[in-house]
Amino acid sequence: MTVNYKSVFDIIGPIMIGPSSSHTAGACAIGRAANSIFKDKPTEIVIHYYESFAQTHKGHGTDYAIISGVLGFDPDDSRVPYAIGLARDQGITITFIEEAGDSPIKHPNTAIVDLENDSKKVTVAGCSIGGGTIEIREIKMDGFDIKPKGPLPILLVQGGENDHQNVTKQLADLTKVNDQQRYQTARGNMYEYDLDRRLKHEEITKLAENHTTMVYL
Amino acid sequence: MYMSIAELVSASMTQHQPVYELMIAQEMATSNCTREEVWHTMGRNLDVMEAAVKKGAAGDGVYSTTGLTGGEAVLLKKYRQTGHTLSGDVMMQAVQNAISTNEVNAAMGVVCATPTAGSTGTLPGVVFALQDRLDLTRDQMIQFLFTAGAYGMVIANNASIAGATGGCQAEVGSASAMGAAAAVEIAGGTAEQSAEALAMAISNLLGLVCDPVAGLVELPCVKRNAIGVSNALIAADMALAGCTNKIPADEVIMAMDKVGKGLPRALRETGLGGLAATPTAIRMEEKIFGKAQAKA
Repeated sequence: MTVNYKSVFDIIGPIMIGPSSSHTAGACAIGRAANSIFKDKPTEIVIHYYESFAQTHKGHGTDYAIISGVLGFDPDDSRVPYAIGLARDQGITITFIEEAGDSPIKHPNTAIVDLENDSKKVTVAGCSIGGGTIEIREIKMDGFDIKPKGPLPILLVQGGENDHQNVTKQLADLTKVNDQQRYQTARGNMYEYDLDRRLKHEEITKLAENHTTMVYL
Repeated sequence: MYMSIAELVSASMTQHQPVYELMIAQEMATSNCTREEVWHTMGRNLDVMEAAVKKGAAGDGVYSTTGLTGGEAVLLKKYRQTGHTLSGDVMMQAVQNAISTNEVNAAMGVVCATPTAGSTGTLPGVVFALQDRLDLTRDQMIQFLFTAGAYGMVIANNASIAGATGGCQAEVGSASAMGAAAAVEIAGGTAEQSAEALAMAISNLLGLVCDPVAGLVELPCVKRNAIGVSNALIAADMALAGCTNKIPADEVIMAMDKVGKGLPRALRETGLGGLAATPTAIRMEEKIFGKAQAKA
């Protein structure tokens, strides 16, 4: 059994702007994940919707929610319903595509987010599994094609064996690592750690001190 | 982490602890937070629920931008004031709270998703009606939410709480079951009775489809929360009376998961089947979005 709901606040919560936890708060969370990975301001956002997301995104406020996440808003931020206008005011081009086929990551609530600017491009495939909780099942960044199992939290660290040893040691004091993978390209390694529990803000900050390009989802 | 209702009930019985205490202990362990921190967070959730319960029933009420829903919590409030409701005032107060919360949700207001936004009115509907009925303190209401969360986590991790995966039974059905189990505990029942209430609540809503008109979380979602609260209170009362479901809670949850997976896609939050495919719903959709999307 996959344990996606690790906290009581995944069930009683989140506090959010309506109307749908899967299609609004969850969409916001997928956008936020893409924002955490991109770590910069995009000039172009392309959202691909599949299945239930493709059929009902307009009615569920999925469009403004996912853009609000890309802008880094929390799901209960009062600016959430106005996110598309706010993004366009910043000169960001936004495209929504309703894909006809089945979800490539095999979930009815799927959104694939492409973020791009002059210096980089990332692709994040997420699905919203209910109650605002999401999974991230594919990330394309810096030449890496990362395919996590899905459940969060996920930690991504670029670097060498030393960095891996260092992170492993730090994580050992914090939580169990349920799964880990290494991805290799000519430019280096990417280490993925699937963590057993969500880290607290100060724990993430401490980890990031030695790994400035680290991504915590 | 408690993975089944049986484990949760057995731990509560053997440790002589209410389920909310087990939930608080588990949350502290998994989040590395203090008791005060998790208690405070739950208190904030309760405050957001209370604000939505009040907002939807205040003044002329709230209305969604589409005009499909709104103002009915106020109608219920006025109707209750006549003193002649058929199902009694506790029930109708619970219904009013639920409708009010979901009207706020449909109007893009702030809610606490429990377990989802589509089913957001069910749990507040129950707890704020019981606040008056049982004279609950704020602390007891927070305990209620921890209990509901404990049972909800088991449902979510073993089945689903998404309409797109499991239909409305996964959303309002789960919320109703959580409310039923927590209502039993706060009323002084045992964990075994909570499990029976949960099993009866889900059993009663098994197969409920997710068919949002125009893909909006309005029709029939808002009123489905009325059935969520009433079913929760009825299941809780039956369990407190000593009625049992005969099919154990964990098996009921597995059945819900299987039923959800067996539902056709048109009835899993695509807006393509059920009420969403009726002529009136299609006309509404055309009026709101300009053109009808293809219907299956």
